[in-house]
Amino acid sequence: MDSLATPLEVVARPQLDLELRGIRKRYGDFTAVDDVSLQVAKGQFVCLLGPSGCGKTTTLRCVAGLEEPDDGGILIGGKEVTKDPPWQRDIAMMFQDFALFPHMTVARQVGFGLEMLKKPKAEIARRVQEVLKAFEISPLADRKPGSLSGGQRQRVALARAMITEPRILLLDEPIGALDYSLRETVMLELKMLQQRTGISFIWVTHDQNEAFSLGDLVVVMNHAKIEQQGTAEEILQRPATAFVAGFVQGNNVFHGRITGTSPDALQVETSAGRFYLPRPVRCTPMLGDAVSFSVRAERITDSLSDRHANRLSARCTAVEYFGSVRRHIFERPDGQVLKYDQFGAYAARIAPGQTVQLGWLVEETVLHTGAVA
Amino acid sequence: MSTIRVRSPASYWLAVPAAVWMLGVVVVPIVLLVWVSFWGGRTFSPASPLTFDNYARFFANQTYIKLAGTTVLHTMTLMAVTGVLGYCIAYFLVMKVKSPAWRLALFLAFIIPFWTSTLIRAIAWVPFLGVNGVINQLLMSIGATRSPIEAFLYSHTGITMAQVSLYTMMAAGPVVYMLSSIAPQLREAAMTLKATPFTVFRRITFPLTLPGVVIGQVLVFLNVMSDFATVATIGGNKHALLSNLVLLFYESSQIRAASVVAVLLMICMLVGVVIALRVVDVRRLGAER
Repeated sequence: MDSLATPLEVVARPQLDLELRGIRKRYGDFTAVDDVSLQVAKGQFVCLLGPSGCGKTTTLRCVAGLEEPDDGGILIGGKEVTKDPPWQRDIAMMFQDFALFPHMTVARQVGFGLEMLKKPKAEIARRVQEVLKAFEISPLADRKPGSLSGGQRQRVALARAMITEPRILLLDEPIGALDYSLRETVMLELKMLQQRTGISFIWVTHDQNEAFSLGDLVVVMNHAKIEQQGTAEEILQRPATAFVAGFVQGNNVFHGRITGTSPDALQVETSAGRFYLPRPVRCTPMLGDAVSFSVRAERITDSLSDRHANRLSARCTAVEYFGSVRRHIFERPDGQVLKYDQFGAYAARIAPGQTVQLGWLVEETVLHTGAVA
Repeated sequence: MSTIRVRSPASYWLAVPAAVWMLGVVVVPIVLLVWVSFWGGRTFSPASPLTFDNYARFFANQTYIKLAGTTVLHTMTLMAVTGVLGYCIAYFLVMKVKSPAWRLALFLAFIIPFWTSTLIRAIAWVPFLGVNGVINQLLMSIGATRSPIEAFLYSHTGITMAQVSLYTMMAAGPVVYMLSSIAPQLREAAMTLKATPFTVFRRITFPLTLPGVVIGQVLVFLNVMSDFATVATIGGNKHALLSNLVLLFYESSQIRAASVVAVLLMICMLVGVVIALRVVDVRRLGAER
């Protein structure tokens, strides 16, 4: 086994709120988390993004101490906590369905964390009042969770988690249970709360809009592994793997083989034709390698010039209009599907059924260079 | 979807068969029982004058009063023992047995003995508890005791032992249900709020299972109060509780005295149930989930 034996010889960095060092978690034959490493700076907003079953929630539960990783190390605030139980970690957690205690009033519930810290009664009462006020739920103080609406429950859960001022707040799909209309407001509020308090947020979601609009750092996971981590812009503009490119909206993904190299470009043969890509700096692709690459839907154009070296013809099958964007869906006989986004309120130029020449610039083409940590 | 509305004529008609049945086998016999318990005079007939004489006679007898006290004390002991034991078993089944197959197997192992009647199960204890019984043989073979312990059979201890085995699952059953309906996230949330496992139990798990505990206690209370068979078989002729008194009076054709004891027994049970419902509103069970 390539056991990592908790590589703690590396000096712990106290400026990090959280550090994961190659954590692994298996359930029988199923690997839920595989070699996940992550560094979260002080006060960072991190989103773990991925399809269901990708291991993002298990990773979060390992940080909380609700699961113990089979391998690897977890450091919170520079202190190794891998084997520590949840109640000894400087974290708080917000659960997907909020996990409010059904037998406790809102006030009791919110004060629970302080009670556990053995704070004096008067101080608890005062802090609870403050926090209830801050979260605008003072009128609910004597109610029990059973009589609260979804939005109210969400606030109570948040207040309950935040009152102890943890170093890290873990949020498992925190707005997934809310009405769609509420989500945007709540997202904004949470982002502002995070910036104001400077508490690190680790936010698990399968919704890329949430992840990209909230996260300072977005971590895309698939099949128990991290596929790519970076800012929203890095992930959207330079997807590292075919999975990431396909998972985030608006990418056209191609698979093919390298048939030619030059000092500054690669030539890739696909079923949809021959395309040219900028030669990557960090790796050296070899002739004959199977590769994938992508181009964003908004980088494609139907008004071609000499500079558009990458071209193909395709038949339009559908046009969707979203107000600011007109998205065209194309299909080719070889099965390749293509999305082409046109911005602005131009009149539609392409109608379904039409076959059109499309193209894009070489430098708009992104080679997937594999999982980049 | 049901199309029969609450309080519609159809809903009342649907309740008629059950209501007639209950009237015939529960309400009418109880009314008769209460009526008979007030019959005075010398002749046993509906023409008898109604008096409190039968009750006065019961309360004048110190032996009966003591017996009532013993019955209550015995029932409380059993409630305490089965309560603690039942909670432990339920907690083990739900929280510690992770595999559903094992949980089912263990649960069945606990439940299957209940397929036989209480009487049979009570009698089944006799060969265990007797002077030459299994328990004594075992104790002697491992050298724990030289001569057999006679205290097991035909003794109060024996009755308690047998009844604990008979009624523990009644205390455990409702707790199993309540425990398994607690979302694991609740305990996890408490842990992330810095509660230690013991505190999680004290503040989250136990309060949420309290209705189950109370229901279990009510079941044990009612069953032990009315269980004359175990007391008769395990206790022999030496021990009796209130319920045995009913039988005793009945067998000696003292029907009025028997109904007095029966009515008093019912009043005790009613009071017990009312107290239990004061503690936990069973009707609102699960309403907050």
